[in-house]
Amino acid sequence: MTERVEYWVKIPFGPIHPGLEEPEKFILTLDGEKIIDVDVKLGYNLRGIQWIALRRNYIQIMYLAERMCGICSFSHNHTYTRAVEEAGGIEVPERAEYIRVIIGELERIHSHLLNLGVLAHDIGYDTLLHLTWLAREKVMDTLEAVSGNRVNYSMVTIGGVRRDIDEKKRRIILDMIKYYREVFPQIEEAFLHDPTIEARFRDTAVISKRVALEQGAVGPTGRGSGIRDDARWSERLGVYPDLGIKPVMPQDVTGERPRGDVFDRMAVRIGELYQSLELIEHALDGMPDGKIKAFPKDNVLYAKLRLMVDGEGIGRYEAPRGELVHYVRGKKGSDKPLRWKPREPTFPNLFSVAKGVIGDQVADFVVAVASIDPCLSCTDRVAVIEDGKRKVLTEKDLLKESIRKTREINPEIKGDPTPVGASCSR
Amino acid sequence: MPMDAVTGLVYPVAGLLGLYAFVSLVSLIWEGIDRKLVARMQRRIGPPILQPLYDFLKLSSKETIIPSTANYMFRVAPVLALATAIALLAYTPMGFTPILASRGDVIVFIYLLTLISFFKIVGAISSGNPYAKIGAAREATVMVSREPAMMLAIFTIMWRLGKLGVPKPFSMGIFYTHNIWEIGTPMSFVGAVILLYVFCVWLASEIEVGFFNIPDAEEEIAEGLLVEYSGRYLALLKLTNSIKAFISASLVVAIFFPWGVSGYLNLTGFSADVVNLFFHALKVFALLFAVQSVFRAVTGRLKITQAVDFLWKNVFLASLVGSLLIAMEVIM
Repeated sequence: MTERVEYWVKIPFGPIHPGLEEPEKFILTLDGEKIIDVDVKLGYNLRGIQWIALRRNYIQIMYLAERMCGICSFSHNHTYTRAVEEAGGIEVPERAEYIRVIIGELERIHSHLLNLGVLAHDIGYDTLLHLTWLAREKVMDTLEAVSGNRVNYSMVTIGGVRRDIDEKKRRIILDMIKYYREVFPQIEEAFLHDPTIEARFRDTAVISKRVALEQGAVGPTGRGSGIRDDARWSERLGVYPDLGIKPVMPQDVTGERPRGDVFDRMAVRIGELYQSLELIEHALDGMPDGKIKAFPKDNVLYAKLRLMVDGEGIGRYEAPRGELVHYVRGKKGSDKPLRWKPREPTFPNLFSVAKGVIGDQVADFVVAVASIDPCLSCTDRVAVIEDGKRKVLTEKDLLKESIRKTREINPEIKGDPTPVGASCSR
Repeated sequence: MPMDAVTGLVYPVAGLLGLYAFVSLVSLIWEGIDRKLVARMQRRIGPPILQPLYDFLKLSSKETIIPSTANYMFRVAPVLALATAIALLAYTPMGFTPILASRGDVIVFIYLLTLISFFKIVGAISSGNPYAKIGAAREATVMVSREPAMMLAIFTIMWRLGKLGVPKPFSMGIFYTHNIWEIGTPMSFVGAVILLYVFCVWLASEIEVGFFNIPDAEEEIAEGLLVEYSGRYLALLKLTNSIKAFISASLVVAIFFPWGVSGYLNLTGFSADVVNLFFHALKVFALLFAVQSVFRAVTGRLKITQAVDFLWKNVFLASLVGSLLIAMEVIM
């Protein structure tokens, strides 16, 4: 006669929480320690980047794009540049493409090492965190030597790169590769063969291949679930096909079928560390001589962009977190884009992991969120706050607002503002 | 008659206060040493050794914020927890027979040790914070999983040592008349080693490090039990935790490594006790180095289900086997 009573409780996880690197909010529905449901609330890190961009020209937006996020600053800049190049039909010299590959892979190494450390920290394994980040210092130093900065490298410009990689910088990079050839096996040993890590990461936050496809998971999250996709490979991006790019799958690293858990995502990242080293080596070997920019000076570039960019362009690149897309639409004669829209890999990944973590414990949640390497400063775009309360605007509200605005501008407007047709009746 | 009052009341109270001052200082210093050692293992520089002491003083002077959802137990619990820890000092073997040692006081010892966790749980639940409640649930779960293994082991050891002939059986002072290695049979030696393992795991789960840093998991539930505490109450709870770590380690040291140095120095009476106390503190540091510093440097924390599984299926079984081995020749 006993009836099972379930005590579900909703607790907020974030916006400020020691386990989260950036402000993001989840509302967890819990049954004891078990997660029943996850509600994702975004928008705590909104800085109005797209709004700022409306007031800047093509060249100024490069700096803005770079500052969207501290970790994938190269990726944003690079992808935006590709979008503008496509819109303007600008040819990039081959040497510049090779330099872009080198900087991109250096950035991938530092981003992946950072994420591995965060994962270890989230299970309280602080020794691994500190040692991984100690290893990360080498690539940061290399980036500083090559570009002059530890973050925000400013290496890419529209139509090429800003700085060349000369013999001295080449030696520094080769030194770094030698150092990592010794360190990466140790990192691999520590992460893939540690009983605590295996106990915590195996079968945690499993994103099945179906869920990953439905939610559009990209990058290591998608590959960890068994989706063979990598924008550098599937798009035949730049010179990557010549360098022998192929997607790193979990089975390449662990030797088991992909299960889509935290461990597989981590394994993909470890595999990509080695792949990045190889790509840098190949790029350094195969780098042709020649010029590094299509236009020698920024004022020439500015003038050319005014004339050349007409229509739309899409840039795609495999950022460390997954496929990054930038969309740019421009008009001839204007030095500003009409529209600039970045789409970040964190957005689909966050929802796939929110689905994947259901049924696991509270302890798994922070690990699960860290396993997609979320970058909320990249993701947050729109938030409407009125009287201190967040509002979600539907299509109907937007329509109402635009009618109100039209009336405000021109009160004597004629015509019926009621939507016409079945498609607008929502 | 006044003489009796002095020996029966004043000496124990003075001794207890002295012990309290000594243990507070030493346990906070140990925490500083532990943080420094772990930092060096992680290739960091680490805080100064006196940092926990500075933290304690700073917290004592800071504003104490009481959440509006909290009831009076939130304020009472830290005080009661510290009071329990101080009372516990009178029963803790620290290089000499405890101040209030008497027949069967092991039960009081275990009772008071568990009471500290209990007060922490009550305080956390009274705060009204959901994270604190999750932490309290975790603490309770770990508590009921870790204590049976320890109780079985300690009762078996005491019973077995009682068979060797002591005036007060089941007293915490027993370890300074007979120790576990004196039983002498090979079986009991193996049993003692197994029980040492059991007690080390119990100690790690008691002070919540490494695998067992579950109730206070910072990244998961934002320090769990301590999430709403601030100012003076946080200082009291931190001090309680440090003293508790010292007391728990003292138990393990007294059972397995009870030897003092006063005999070699030809000291007797009060000076012997003081020398033994200092030597005991060193032994506690050595044990905590292995169980706390190294353990937390080389592992992460487990999930609560994995920890409970581990404590019952591994540690409790080990405790059962070890106890049987020790008790064997008496039973047969």
